[in-house]
Formats: sequence, structure tokens, C-alpha cells
Amino acid sequence: MKKIEILKIDSLNRAPLIIEGYLFEGSDPDAPSVAIVGAMEGKTIIPLYTASKLVDFLKNGIDDSSKILGNILVIPSINHYALNINERFWPLDKTDINMMFPGYDQGETTQRIAKKVFDALEGYTHGIILKTRNDLSTCMPYIKLFQSGYEDLKDAKKFGFRIIHHKELKPTDTVSLQYNWQLWGTKAYSIICPNVNHVNTATSNEVLEGVINFLSKKKIIKYKLLSGYQSTIIRKPDIEIIKTPKSGIFIPTKKIGAYVAKDEMIGKIVHSLEGEVVHRIFAPCNGLIACHYKNALIFENAVAFRVVKSG
Amino acid sequence: MQTTEIFSSQLPVGEILSIKRTRFEPTKKKEGAKRISIVTGIHGDELEGQYVIYLLAKWLQENQNSIHGIIDLYPAVNALGVDSITRGFPIYEVDLNRAFPGGKHEFLPGQLVHALSLDVQGSDIAIDIHSSNIFLREIPQIRINKEFSPTTLRLAKQLNCDFIWIHDAVTVLEATFSHTMNSLGTKTLVVEMGVGMRLTKEYGVQLLNGILNLMKKEKIIITDEKFEARKPFSSEVGDVFYLNSPTSGLFVPELDHCAVIKKGEKIGTIVNPLDGKVLHTLYAPNGGILFTLREYPIVYEGSLIARIFGNNNEKN
Ligand SMILES: [Zn+2]
Repeated sequence: MKKIEILKIDSLNRAPLIIEGYLFEGSDPDAPSVAIVGAMEGKTIIPLYTASKLVDFLKNGIDDSSKILGNILVIPSINHYALNINERFWPLDKTDINMMFPGYDQGETTQRIAKKVFDALEGYTHGIILKTRNDLSTCMPYIKLFQSGYEDLKDAKKFGFRIIHHKELKPTDTVSLQYNWQLWGTKAYSIICPNVNHVNTATSNEVLEGVINFLSKKKIIKYKLLSGYQSTIIRKPDIEIIKTPKSGIFIPTKKIGAYVAKDEMIGKIVHSLEGEVVHRIFAPCNGLIACHYKNALIFENAVAFRVVKSG
Repeated sequence: MQTTEIFSSQLPVGEILSIKRTRFEPTKKKEGAKRISIVTGIHGDELEGQYVIYLLAKWLQENQNSIHGIIDLYPAVNALGVDSITRGFPIYEVDLNRAFPGGKHEFLPGQLVHALSLDVQGSDIAIDIHSSNIFLREIPQIRINKEFSPTTLRLAKQLNCDFIWIHDAVTVLEATFSHTMNSLGTKTLVVEMGVGMRLTKEYGVQLLNGILNLMKKEKIIITDEKFEARKPFSSEVGDVFYLNSPTSGLFVPELDHCAVIKKGEKIGTIVNPLDGKVLHTLYAPNGGILFTLREYPIVYEGSLIARIFGNNNEKN
């Protein structure tokens, strides 16, 4: 394992930001290679936790380093500055690094960060981006692949997550890492992680298992792990969006990952000043709860649940 | 004059979010008269437009008889942001100007911008007033997407601004208010002026004159009052030069914003208060007009310090 410095930025009042990557060199020059990007933003923990546990797994969990066949680069965190003060974006100007790709070395700070990170990521056959949802919901881990014309849906199944979300490309997605990485010839996948700020060892390792599954099935490492799910590819028509007509205190009564039956109660809204239940949320169809709103205080017409339809 | 709610949402705890629009129109409807919408506060930390809209509403109140078309005013699109010094939509941390056109079934920021686009739709002209951000100070200028310049440039020249910046089409900017409205057939102009979190009174008066001038030319108001429109310089006949900070530190400006400067002139220094040392001295990369200048003094490597508009082969 080699630690490589990807970039260093000085700050007037904080210690320099040093972004490092952990490079595990493979024993087989013909094996595919992969780069994994952890936390690009703060206020959430699973991308950071997963990437750091992956470093530990590759360093200490594999008994023989020759079982690492292809080159693996892990960058656990890009945005230490945000993570350390519970900000989500770049703390000075609040810009999102994932809106700055492919980056620009003469531009603004976060464009420069994106450029140096992108340079370090170039040339890998595969790329994995650990992210959380951009809205205020949390979800079961799933793969997000843009409908960009470069996506590899077949390989996306090798992670073994239950869902692959094949998502329409929006204008703002054209400056994301996934899109640009693919444009530059890397098969990139985003793993959307639960959007939480604590680690629950029972579920937090799911993402790590998915990454290890992928590495092993792509023969980047030689390691046996129980296979995951046969992933289902879902698109917009497969998802039922359930909104709350009332704002208030949101209490989900069914968990993410649970199958629910049509008309089953899955959550409720409590009046924030008077305590009574002002709305009950029922499943509009049979299906699987993939996401729900992550905060207790919910807005009117906010998406409370996303259910993947079944039947 | 009538104020209406264009969007409302019951917030979780005892409060209603309400986005308002005030309409001025003649007492008797005029056939073929045009409609203009003036929008501001899409970014919650930009307040210069609020002052412009105040001045405009005051003028229209005092000159009711001059009103010939429909004038719609939207002073605080991101109302929660404006009142909490938050640029994006609070909690969601979403830039509303990257959320257009939005939709009825989207998250709250998307619902809000959708309601705004529906309400503005049908206007002949829209003006979206921004005030840069808290980091930079800008002279009054119009930003125009090249794609729409054949229809919007003519109007931009009426707005009494100092600079018209025509930029190339960028995919990510398709999610802005101006791109959305231009695509829907409303000729939409983006004004950038002043600085975030502050009012620059002379700029407010300058743009008020420009808006009145444009409305008079378009016969939205009919009045004998004369409004000057200064001749802007335009990016068609020169280049924009960027100066980004080469290092992190405290930026101390040497020049006034809006100054005409020569190549190599000192713009400022980056210093370190801890040891009293100058880390870097910044010089103009080209002669011209200093139309953007750093206002917030803490900088990182890459932070924008200045933009200069000038002629590439300028010898002065
Ligand atoms: Zn703005």
C-alpha cells in the first residue's frame, strides 16, 4: 500500500487540507483497475466510513497481498474541511465539489480541487463514487447510473444491491463526477448510501460488502464473499412517490427495505404544536420501501416515501 | 396595485411560507399592451434587487396614470433564505437557480420555482436581478446567454447598465430561471450588480432608471419623463480577464472597484496577519475596467479576486 498525496491547499487559519489516496498495486498487470471516491461532502457518514473500512480491508483483511490483482485507489475523503465542522459543502463559498467536474486548474478553489482529483482518477477502468441522496431522504444502498449513453448496467449488477436506479440525466448532472468520469472512458457507478450521521454496524457494512462483491466479481481482487442480490433495474415508472399533504412531525412506521402491501399504514404526521395525528400515510401499491424522508420535521407536499412497485 | 400569493406552503411548525407578487396594471385594460416581470431574491443573500423593486413600486404608485401594460414584481423568491442570510433554499441547501423549471411533484424548492415559472410565463419581458454573492462586488451588468442574444441584446442595451456580458451556452445553466423563461418565450435578462448582503443605493437608482427607460421604450409605461440609458460596453468587443488568488490568506485591495486600470497595475495584496508578511502582490493581468472585485477578504487558493474587461492587445 502506498499513500499518495492528491492535493494540498493552504488555509489562512486552518491546517492545510491534504487529500490523500491509498494505492494498492495489483499483482496482475492485465487485471482491471478501480478507483473509489469516498466523502465529497460532509454532514453524512457512510461514504467516509465505507471508504475507510475498505482501506482497512485491503490492508489487513486480505491475508495475501498478491490476491489484489488490479490497481485499487481509495480516496476516503475529499472534503475534510466540511466534515470537521459539520458543513455539507466547501465551507467558505458553500460550493458542491460534485458540481465542479471535470474541474479547472485556473478556476475557483473547488474547481481546482475537482481538477486535481479528476487527474488522479483518470485512466482507471472502473470507478466507484460513494454518495448520499441530494434531497432530504435516506435510502437503502443502491446504484445510481445516469442515462448518459456510457453506462454499463450489466456490470452494475455485480455489486449485488437490490436496486439499480437508471436515472434520466438532468442539466446539473453534466458537471458531476460520474458523468465526466464516464465521458473520459472509466466505467463509473455511484453508490447511493443511507443518509445518516451515525454508524450502525448492522447495516453500515452493507455498502462495503457491495464494493467487495464488485471487486471480486470483476477479478480485481481474489476474495470469496456471499453473493448479494440479483439487482433489479428501475426507472421512473417503477417508483411510486408518496407525499404528505400535511407538514408536521413525520414518523415512519415501516422501515426502509420492508415490503409493504397496498393500503398498509407506513407512516404518520403529527401536529407539531397539538400532538394529534393529522395524517396517516398508506402504501398506494404493493412494493418495497426504498427511501423515506430523513428528518422529523417534514414540509407540506414533501416526498415522505419512495416505494418500488411490485406485483 | 394588487398583491397576491403565488405559492404557499404550511411549514412544519406554526408558519406559512408565502411567496408574493405585486401587480400594477392600468385601471382600463389596454389592447396589445405588454407585460414585464421583475424578479429578485432567487439567491437569499442578494438584496440589491429588493431596493430596486422598492424604488420601482414607489414610482408606479406615484405615477399610476403612466401605467399602460402589466408590471409584476417578485421581490423575494427565496423568502426563507432572504430572512435568514441563506443563499440557497434553507435545509435543502439547494441553489434555486439550478432547480428550474421544477415541477409540481418535486421537492419543496422545485415546487416553488415551478410556481414562479408558471406565474411569470406569458410575460413579454422578465428581469432577474442578482447581486453577485457575499464574496464579490460587481458593477451593474447584464449577463446574456449567446443562444438568446438575438432577442435579448436589444433590450439589455436599454437597461442603463455599464456592461453587457454575452457568455456561451453551458448545459448546467439550463436549470436557471433565465434559461427556462427564455425557452418559454419570455425575453429574460439577468442583472448582476453590487454585492451580497448589502445595498448599493446608487446602483439601485441607476437600474431603476434603466428599467423605466426599457418600460417606456416598450410602451409598458407612457410618460413624458425622460430616462437616460448609458451606453454599455459589451463583451463582443473585448475579453474578460480573470484574476484568481494564487494563495490562501487575507486579501487587502489597493484599488477602487470599477476603476480603469493599466496592465501590471497593483490590485492588492494577500497578507498573513499572524506574522505581518505579504504573501503575494497581485497585479492586473491586462488593462481595462475592473468590473468585479473581491469584497470578502478571506481567500483560498483559487478564490476569484478580480475580473477585468479589456482589449487583448491593449498597450496602455
Ligand atoms: Zn444570484
